[in-house]
Amino acid sequence: MPIVNEGLQREFEWVTRPGEQKHIGEALDLADAVMQDIAYALITGQHLEVDRITQECLNNGYTANHILDHGLLNGMAIVGVKFRDNVIFVPEVLVAARAMKAGMAHIEPILSASGIEPIGTVIMGTVKGDLHDIGKNLCIMMLRGAGWTVHDLGVDTSPEEFADAVMEHEAQLIGMSALLTTTMPNMGRTIAYFEDIGLRDEVRFMVGGAPVTREFADEMGADGYGENAVECVETASDLLNLIKELA
Amino acid sequence: MPSTKYAGTLTSKERTLRALRGEPVDRPPVTNPTNVATVELMDLVDAPFPTANRDPEMNARLAATGYTQLGFDAIAPYFSIIQESSALGCDMQWEGKDNWPTVRMTNPIWETVDDIKMPDGFLEHPDNKTIIESIRLLKQEFGDEVAIVGKTMGPWTLAYHVFGVEPFLLATVDDPPMVMDMLHRLKQFTIEFGLAQIEAGADVLTLPDHATGDLVSGEYYRRFLMDLHHEFVEDLPVPIMLHICGATTDRMPYIATTGMAAFHFDSKNDPQESMDAVDGGINLVGNINNPVTLYSRTPEEVRAEVFRCLDAGVQLIAPECAIPLKTKLENLLEIPRAVEDWAAEHWNYSEN
Repeated sequence: MPIVNEGLQREFEWVTRPGEQKHIGEALDLADAVMQDIAYALITGQHLEVDRITQECLNNGYTANHILDHGLLNGMAIVGVKFRDNVIFVPEVLVAARAMKAGMAHIEPILSASGIEPIGTVIMGTVKGDLHDIGKNLCIMMLRGAGWTVHDLGVDTSPEEFADAVMEHEAQLIGMSALLTTTMPNMGRTIAYFEDIGLRDEVRFMVGGAPVTREFADEMGADGYGENAVECVETASDLLNLIKELA
Repeated sequence: MPSTKYAGTLTSKERTLRALRGEPVDRPPVTNPTNVATVELMDLVDAPFPTANRDPEMNARLAATGYTQLGFDAIAPYFSIIQESSALGCDMQWEGKDNWPTVRMTNPIWETVDDIKMPDGFLEHPDNKTIIESIRLLKQEFGDEVAIVGKTMGPWTLAYHVFGVEPFLLATVDDPPMVMDMLHRLKQFTIEFGLAQIEAGADVLTLPDHATGDLVSGEYYRRFLMDLHHEFVEDLPVPIMLHICGATTDRMPYIATTGMAAFHFDSKNDPQESMDAVDGGINLVGNINNPVTLYSRTPEEVRAEVFRCLDAGVQLIAPECAIPLKTKLENLLEIPRAVEDWAAEHWNYSEN
């Protein structure tokens, strides 16, 4: 159906790249009025509203998957585009993430009980010696929104902790973040540690963080680089496809 | 602003202060609003981290290398952004020789605006006292020849430290008036510590306040900080260098109205575009790239970046932010050399 929520229509106008207009537009075509209300409430950070409508929808017979795909994820797709294009910044993303979390609090238990397989599993952490986590947290929120299972190791994560988590959760990917120029080299040291213990071929590394560049990522031997949280999800998807191709 | 009248005759201190006041100089000064200490310099003067952050004599010894070894026109006796927050009671991670001490922002100490209170002995806390005492020592030894730069954190960065980044940024959306109240109350720490450093002998203050484009919009800067930063100009009677990391070109027109002496800008901003953005309203300091150019490239590439800044008209040259602690000295030494060579060619500057 066409977009009937006027606020959502205005938000959709921020999506200007043709491919994204088509992709998100087609997804919104499948969203009825109430799913559009959820998407709009999420984009604008109205977490209490998302909480209320999600609960109502479940009471009225909508499936958890339907609400996730047609309401919450449509909203997050537009949030991601606006964030990447500097239309909104971290505070606005944080309130949208809080709204997403309010909806997921109803959805997640149902999805878990139904045994739906995640897209993949990724271990995320800020490297040893670095206590900054906001960029990593945004990436985690976007990855979870895109259907990944994410194990968050927090900040100040040692190579050994990354390795233990990969083995425990059988993760395909590791995402490492750093904000400090002094801790950036710890990304390369973590990759070297995986080589030393014979785990390097079992996992793909993606890296990011304000001072980290694609060039630096290549030099340290990372498999992927994301400049922002949206690129993080794209990189994770590309690496997973690569893993499947090579399998 | 070039002047052949002073060619090679100004002291580093005169050069820096004149440039910050917009007065004629013989060549653009090389300064360091943020840390230029490295592991090599720590070894050279036996002043390693983390002790050099907490011992005034060691701190002064390491800070002085910015002038005595690197040939910069300023000495800045602080190597991290933790002092005030440590004094306020934040949880600290001191790290070792090859990393900066950091505030554990994931363990915030305050939750509400009413928690903001000046603790007893704020200036006597060892981390604040170290900087104040170090400034006194440096003033005695170098006060006539080189600019002594102090540092006092702005309220926005202090809010990240004491409230945590995410809770604070969420509050900016949920309750903007309360956030304004928070910022006004946090301002007292900025002023108290800044005045103590001026009294100890600081000629200039760096005021880091990380309303960076990596986190918030330019509109946020205008709404929450522009007026507060203007007030600091009256509260702190020395030239102030505002430091904000990341992409900031969108907020430079606002920053240019604050009356501060200079804005220390990041390499994510093109020098010419930045000069156009401030449009003569404020001096620019910067913006030699750290993680790539200074850390892992050659002196020739450092030189090229210095020239790019000078060609654009950037008034004071400096690394963009605190340099990686394993930056090669040859790259740092190239900065003043490149400035002198550029000035010799463009301004008829001569060292002799």
